[in-house]
Amino acid sequence: MREFQFARPGSVAEAVREADPGTAFLAGGTTLVDLMKLEVMTPGRVLDINRLPLRAIEATGEGLEIGSLVRMRDVATHTLVRRDYPVVAQALEASASGQLRTMASIGGNLLQRTRCGYFRDVSVPCNKRRPGSGCPAVGGENRMHAVLGTSDSCVATHPSDLAVALVALDATVRLRSRTGERTISLRDLYLLPGDTPHREHDLQPGELITAVVLPRLPWASHSIYVKVRDRQSYEFALASAAVAVRRERDTIVEARVAVGGMGTRPWRLAAVEAALAGRPATEASYEAASARALDGVRPLRHNAFKPELMRRTLVRALLELERTR
Amino acid sequence: MSVSPIGRETARVDGPLKVTGRAPYAADYHPDGLVYGHLILATVGRGTVREMDVSLAEAAPGVLAVYTPFRSIRIINDFAGRGAENYTVLQDTTVRFRGQIIGLVVADTLERARDAAALVTAEYTSTTPRTSLADSGPGTSPGAEQVLAPGVGSIDEALASAPVTITTTVSQHAQHHVAMEPHATTAVWQDDQLTLYCGSQGPQRHASAIAASLGVEPAKVRVIARYTGGGFGSRVPAWNEAKLCAAAARALGRPLKVVLTREQLFTTVGHRSAVRQTVRLGAESDGRLIALSHESDAEMPAVAGWPLMPAEGTSAVLYRTPNIRIDQRLVTLDTPSTWAMRGPGEAPGAFAVETAFDELATRTGIDPVELRLRNYAVREPLGGRRFSSKYLDQCYRVGAMRFGWDRRPRRPRSRTDGDWLIGMGMATAIYQGGRGSSSARVQFRDDGRVTVASGTSDIGTGAWTMLAVAGADALGLPVAAMVPELGDSALPPGGSAAVGSGATASTVPAVQAACRSAVTALIRAAVENPRSPFHGLDPADVRYRQGRVSSGRRSMGFRDLLRAMGVPDVQAVENTEGIDRDGPYAFQSFGAHFCEVRVHRLTGDIRVSRFTSVFDVGTVINARTARSQLIGGIIWGIGGALLESDPIEPDGRYAAANMADYLVPVNADVPAIDVHWLDHPDPQVSEVGARGLGELGNVGSAAAVGNAVFNATGIRVRDLPITLDKLL
Amino acid sequence: MPVVTQSEGMSRRELLSRSGVVATAVATVPLIGADALAEEAPGEVGVRMTVNGTVTPLTVDPRETLLDVLRERLRLTGTKKGCDRGQCGACTVHVDGERVVSCLTLVATLGGARVTTIEGLADGDRLHPLQQAFIDHDGFQCGFCTPGQIMSAAAVIEDGRARTDDQIREQMSGNICRCSAYPGIVAAVQQARKEMR
Repeated sequence: MREFQFARPGSVAEAVREADPGTAFLAGGTTLVDLMKLEVMTPGRVLDINRLPLRAIEATGEGLEIGSLVRMRDVATHTLVRRDYPVVAQALEASASGQLRTMASIGGNLLQRTRCGYFRDVSVPCNKRRPGSGCPAVGGENRMHAVLGTSDSCVATHPSDLAVALVALDATVRLRSRTGERTISLRDLYLLPGDTPHREHDLQPGELITAVVLPRLPWASHSIYVKVRDRQSYEFALASAAVAVRRERDTIVEARVAVGGMGTRPWRLAAVEAALAGRPATEASYEAASARALDGVRPLRHNAFKPELMRRTLVRALLELERTR
Repeated sequence: MSVSPIGRETARVDGPLKVTGRAPYAADYHPDGLVYGHLILATVGRGTVREMDVSLAEAAPGVLAVYTPFRSIRIINDFAGRGAENYTVLQDTTVRFRGQIIGLVVADTLERARDAAALVTAEYTSTTPRTSLADSGPGTSPGAEQVLAPGVGSIDEALASAPVTITTTVSQHAQHHVAMEPHATTAVWQDDQLTLYCGSQGPQRHASAIAASLGVEPAKVRVIARYTGGGFGSRVPAWNEAKLCAAAARALGRPLKVVLTREQLFTTVGHRSAVRQTVRLGAESDGRLIALSHESDAEMPAVAGWPLMPAEGTSAVLYRTPNIRIDQRLVTLDTPSTWAMRGPGEAPGAFAVETAFDELATRTGIDPVELRLRNYAVREPLGGRRFSSKYLDQCYRVGAMRFGWDRRPRRPRSRTDGDWLIGMGMATAIYQGGRGSSSARVQFRDDGRVTVASGTSDIGTGAWTMLAVAGADALGLPVAAMVPELGDSALPPGGSAAVGSGATASTVPAVQAACRSAVTALIRAAVENPRSPFHGLDPADVRYRQGRVSSGRRSMGFRDLLRAMGVPDVQAVENTEGIDRDGPYAFQSFGAHFCEVRVHRLTGDIRVSRFTSVFDVGTVINARTARSQLIGGIIWGIGGALLESDPIEPDGRYAAANMADYLVPVNADVPAIDVHWLDHPDPQVSEVGARGLGELGNVGSAAAVGNAVFNATGIRVRDLPITLDKLL
Repeated sequence: MPVVTQSEGMSRRELLSRSGVVATAVATVPLIGADALAEEAPGEVGVRMTVNGTVTPLTVDPRETLLDVLRERLRLTGTKKGCDRGQCGACTVHVDGERVVSCLTLVATLGGARVTTIEGLADGDRLHPLQQAFIDHDGFQCGFCTPGQIMSAAAVIEDGRARTDDQIREQMSGNICRCSAYPGIVAAVQQARKEMR
């Protein structure tokens, strides 16, 4: 860990004013402290934002607004989240471990860094870590890596389960910077790697996520998160699916579908949603619609199974959701 | 009348210290003036360190020393004395594998040592290492062994003549011990005497290796390893970090603590070789074996290590067959040192042969249990000796009954529960069960307690409690009256290391012998000491029973006797010989595993839902710790089957060198496990009749999982681990 | 956590010199709270936390984790370092009654916090019901992960999330036991939960 200066700003305004390039905001620490020890992240300055007043969960006209410092566990156990957005609670409960869920904030969760083993190892090149140095994952051990949204520069998977659920729900994030406040769609926060994989999100220097807003979506109460992995717990996803469905009798009227473990960012599948709309809620429909998930996939040497696993995970999620009715 | 604790449920005597955090492990010692060391590892796979820039590190606050091949510290090669690696750390600039130690930074705090180490840069001249077992041809054979029936010219001829043949090739990448306690050493020199706190499976061996590498008399080194956070083989040798720590502490004149990072452990303290195996079976159509061939190619590092021999402990001793051949080859690679890992050859070997047997059962339509009974061996198929005691057939039958084997789906992929495919599989467990030499000291004390000491180690096996149980049994006293001592090289020489599942089987007889001698010594003292009420009596007229010494109507507890005599203690040390490996009997422990898995029909997730195992291990000393050892072994089999794998990359980098990528089972992976053992003391192994069991559970359990997955899905996965992508 | 950027592109020399510069500028961000100590060297942080009921004022290098401070400075070595990366759970302690991995917790953030370690779990010499249950069910072998297991289990029970075996298995999956005493751990948690009601 490199030496750094530590400070604790007293307000959000102070936090964003004090943050300069080379500063990191510290919330739960589960990503930052880990990566600082590995010297993957080497901020010269760390601002402890844990005492900022960003810890409320409030129902508003827009939906449910969750302060960015609310801990994963507290979101997962919140009555309204569980009732109105089960996909969010389930995604959180499938994440990490009980200890890490107690520590990690949801703002930090959304900005957690990839688990790509090359990214986390400073003894090897990585375009995300050291732009232009190369990507060993493209031709290396890439079983866990992405098949959607990849480039020749980077094939790292976005690791957050929560983000998959939120992208399915069209959640927005409130941002605060020196220049003011803005609200953007979470989907737009994440950038594709392209030639610049070190640029992961559309944040200005010093910009802070202050809240996540789950929009009102009454039928999101009929939603599910399915996570598939080698180990039954305490592991990132090989594949995951966040699905919400609005049904009338036996017909799907509308659906929201996103997948994790597949993309360089949480991946919404509009084509699958479109293919589900108007279809009968049967396994045959799920099979047919999930085939659309394969549009544009780019498998690598060790993850050629992923597109098919994604398809099947979607079918499974739709079937399991049907059974929760 | 006290009841013998042998075989009963005795709580760990070290339990209270462990559950309160008061049991000190190697990194928990804080001698005055302690400083901290952090290692630097090579980041190329093979080559030479051209230069290292240590200027930033040396200038960093609190840094006391930076050792590199260019500014080294003298360490002597102790390879001949049981070292794991044939080179000597920091004595030359050669890089033999990626992750080799090339430096040590010492500073006044842990953070400063760690962070200064990251400031050191190295320039290399590198060449391409040999790392891929898959791309290597057959390795070098130390010599195949075979037995052929009269008139049969070769194993191939025997196989060719068989009506049914099966060829099964299985493979696995490197696996790691991943003991929870990272290897750590705290070295304290006082005058010329070194005290080394470090985890160890054999503190006495450890001390002699360290002494050799430092060039000091063995008596000058004391290794204390009372609490060791897991071993599984990785704490048998003294690795380089311990040698460096001891040498640097001497050079600096300060107590030094070196703790390896989790990542560093993956290349510095041994791993299980990658291995590829082919088992060929030739059988009659009724399943009776005509021929068995078991060949293997295992990774053997150029820096030396443990040779993985998967057939000699499995195929060579498992099934009756008139023709058998094993050929265990080694492939030289530029990989970190390998070392024995729980069921070193047996776990991979059993996966190969027990998978092949399942394939033979499928091919012949014979029930897997019945197939094994038809090929039941009463002698070693290769060595020809009789087994000392073998009730494996009962293990199969009792296990099948407890598990409900008769409910196994006969056709693969024929039973479902909702979206889950259900399958059941079984396999045989076998592991050597002899005993080695050992020693023990037993001491009657005037506080009414008895010290039972042996230079062995408790790596979680229950050795602390074993000493107490064995002593209590032999002396007819309560377990609570025993004060066990272990994990210290200063204990009487010749203690059994915690290796080869032999510590309990070897040490209990030593404790019994020492107890007998201590009783003899107590009686002798009683008749010779003028202050003793038994003074002057013929020793033959004095009896010891349950802590009391008596003669006629005179009777006195040993505490009061010692006090009366004014003697603080009476003790005896005994050494016991091991069993002759070339003797008339083959000593093996046995078991039968039965496993049920559930596999999701869509996504292929595998969940082990039930596990039953029945073992034949002779006498069990402590039911509670024995059960835990057997369960632990079974869970290792589940991990080996489904999770554990570390592919190596062309440059020698391990792809999964941390605990998030190298997956070991977590609680959610493990169902309730039904473990049972038969009660058949082994009359040949020792008076108490105990054979080893620490590794047995890990042998065959992976095959049972794999065979259950086949039964559930109809898919046979031969390349471990069995992951869901292989079942789509 | 939100990270604005990182200084990957900088050489080590640049970084070292720059952190020296920043050190002089630290005063621009005042430390708040009563835990700030008066005499701090530049780059050091004053923290007053309560550890096992004892108020413990410390001046720390901001790099110091709770795990390392407990072990190396406070000599509370019951908390173990298994991976130092949040990947094993051996270092689990309670901060303000919640279970956390102390390896990823910077002490500098803990001003005013109440920390409980395995040494502070029991009431005097009497074992906590979980400690006794781990002995009764042999919920450990080597013992190295045990303090973390017990601290984790205490929080799970407190949270009311230890009702079924499956729930315990999932909730306890952040604590790896390589000896694989998992069935014993589940049984121990069940026993203690009933006693702790």
